[in-house]
Amino acid sequence: MRKAVSTLLESLRTLAYLLPQLGRALVTRPETVKFPFAPPVIPRGYRGRVQIHPEKCRGCGLCVRDCPAFALELQREDRNTFKLIYHPERCAYCGQCEVSCTFGAIYQTNEFVRGTDDLGQLVVTLVDRRPARAGAQDK
Amino acid sequence: MNALIKLLIFPGFGFLFIAALAFDWIDRRMIARYHGRVGPPWYQPLADFVKLLAKEDIVPEGTHGLAAAALPIVSLTAVLTASLYIPVGGIVGASFEGDLIVVLFLLTLPALAYFLAGWISVGAYSVLGGHRSLLQYFSYEVPFLMAVTCPAILAGSWSIAEIINSQAQTAWSALMQPLGFILALIGLIGKLKRDPLDIPKAKSEVVAGPLTDFSGRKLALWHLTMNMQTVLGIFLLVNLFFGGSRLFDRVPALPVFGMKSVAILLALSTASALYARLRIDQLMDLGWRVLAPLALIQILATLWIGG
Amino acid sequence: MARTVIPIGPQHPLLKEPLAFQIMLEGERVTDSTMRMGYVHRGIERLCQERTYVQNIHLLERVCGICSHVHAMTYCHAVESLLGIEVPLRAAYLRALLCELERIHSHLLWMGVLARNIGLDTIFMYAWRDREVVLDIMEALSGGRVSHAINIIGGVRSDVTPEDREEILEQLTTLDRQVTRLVGVVEHERSLQTRTKGVGLLSLEQVRRYCVVGPVARASGLDADMRRDEPRTPYDRLSFNVPTHTAGDVWARTLVRMQETRVSVELCRDILKEIPEGPLAVRAPRRVPPGEAISRSEAPRGEVFYYVRSDGSDTPARVKIRTPTLPSLLTLPQQLKGVTMADVSVVLSGVDLCIACADR
Repeated sequence: MRKAVSTLLESLRTLAYLLPQLGRALVTRPETVKFPFAPPVIPRGYRGRVQIHPEKCRGCGLCVRDCPAFALELQREDRNTFKLIYHPERCAYCGQCEVSCTFGAIYQTNEFVRGTDDLGQLVVTLVDRRPARAGAQDK
Repeated sequence: MNALIKLLIFPGFGFLFIAALAFDWIDRRMIARYHGRVGPPWYQPLADFVKLLAKEDIVPEGTHGLAAAALPIVSLTAVLTASLYIPVGGIVGASFEGDLIVVLFLLTLPALAYFLAGWISVGAYSVLGGHRSLLQYFSYEVPFLMAVTCPAILAGSWSIAEIINSQAQTAWSALMQPLGFILALIGLIGKLKRDPLDIPKAKSEVVAGPLTDFSGRKLALWHLTMNMQTVLGIFLLVNLFFGGSRLFDRVPALPVFGMKSVAILLALSTASALYARLRIDQLMDLGWRVLAPLALIQILATLWIGG
Repeated sequence: MARTVIPIGPQHPLLKEPLAFQIMLEGERVTDSTMRMGYVHRGIERLCQERTYVQNIHLLERVCGICSHVHAMTYCHAVESLLGIEVPLRAAYLRALLCELERIHSHLLWMGVLARNIGLDTIFMYAWRDREVVLDIMEALSGGRVSHAINIIGGVRSDVTPEDREEILEQLTTLDRQVTRLVGVVEHERSLQTRTKGVGLLSLEQVRRYCVVGPVARASGLDADMRRDEPRTPYDRLSFNVPTHTAGDVWARTLVRMQETRVSVELCRDILKEIPEGPLAVRAPRRVPPGEAISRSEAPRGEVFYYVRSDGSDTPARVKIRTPTLPSLLTLPQQLKGVTMADVSVVLSGVDLCIACADR
């Protein structure tokens, strides 16, 4: 009986530690963010969508070789004719392509990528280099 | 006609339905604020109810089909019948000498139905949960009943309306018998299977306890029964310990009653946020070694002082 | 009382990752249990052999979500040993900073999960709210909350500017205050103590026999910490203490992890204050000479061990990972003997399971 009463008293004592925190939680603002009803808070260095400066791209294929998710594909015919294709659904947004590129062509933005049901966005041609046209780029 | 209104609208089924959903919302919102979250919007309990009604009703093979269909209806019926005798803001469906006993009896039927729901089910979680709910029942029911009879002893009557009236003459039972009130509150937490005494339906141990295999309409009725039990339990405590709806004679009855009920609900929510779940053997320890003797002391004190 | 067999998992509200138990109960006491793992086995070690060294950094980061940086860092260190290069000081400090942040993150997450499985949702919410501060710091540092992609062979690839540094120090002060409060609550919370004391006992001899590492071992009295026993820069220049306990139950593990969290916050501050200027990475050749190398680090759950063997091409011949959760998992049937059904959730949470790590 004594042990049970002492347990009861001790549990009342622990109220002294948790109860003030409960009170503090009542008067402060909730911690939750209202995404997606409010825009997301994106920090500066966030690793988002991959973009390219098409004029700098030489078609060397370093980014393709280093991509861990096989999201980049290089279709090469000869030195001046190549196509660099990006598959956003395979991309892991790691940024290894940006590190590997020695010409500073491909880079990573901090654009937050949302899901979409538009299948046309599954294959993105980043660079379409042909000798007649000077590096047209379409997305 | 008057009786029909009292049965179906106020303080009967219609009012209880709205009150059950409202109390559920207040409880979830309060606990969310304690956690630092926002909590669900006001229509969430209603949305949950409607969603469950629309879902497919599956009864696993091996479960007793008739019993699975009958049990939620039986427990809901018991709760609604008990609501006839509990005054809400002074208005009561029917009142007679001894209606407190009838109410207490009717409010224990859902616990039995809960255990049976586990017993007839096939899954291991349900059986284990039903097992535990019966053990829990034995631990909290005795102190709860003893604590609830103290105001009756003080008032000298077994009718809830009489108890309210006698409190108007003396003082609130909670002030005269604080120990009894605390014990009744703890007993109510066990009866409603709320945190920290939600052992039969502990999510991390027995998934959902006896209700694991229920879905669809049956589950909607079970949840409604639980919520209505919450409402009725709180109303009962307000009537017995806080003098019903009497504050001052000029203040309207129903808002006063509502405020007292919400105050008790907030106390229950705070208890939910504060404590960890007890183990079933710890609960039995607590119930029989601490709560029951204290309730006995309270009854003896009441008899000695009051008689 | 009846004899029942209760399955826990592979899907269960108590487990974050799939793990299958069959628990034999007599009444409410557990008599025996069998365990089955492998539900999240992805064959990562085999996949490593088909990808280049650079691709493997990112693959190995995804072995575990919570200790992702530690895996990548240990792997990079093994490959750097093979190449014979050494990372610059600044890179070593940054790697250690992220390591300690991950440790804080992991322990706060674990505290929340333990509290939730016990029924104390409030501490779950508070611990995960404090975890958000850590995740924000990591996101500002590396660009991702859970997957950091900050390691490259030869160093790190993103830096901490002086403004960032001030901001992170401020957030660390907030974090320190909140963690102290949380630790105060946990250490004095009576209902938590009664649920976790005496449950999941592991003696020192059993710890040695099963080769358990990490906080589980330190809570049973084994004083082993890779940061102190095999120090790499900057741990050889920083002073910190390694909390241990002797009881060997879940309560002891709670205390050890909470104290480790506070030590880690101090370490983060010290690292940020003493970080030297310098380059972020050295140039690493793409072809790795043949050879084999091992590397060990202190992950949040214990010692993680990497073995990399190279045959001279640009893909490794073998990458072997020994994660710290694996021996802890093997002790679980032993720990579950004789506890009540309600304690099963406590035992399983106390071991800080990371099945993804264990299954690879």
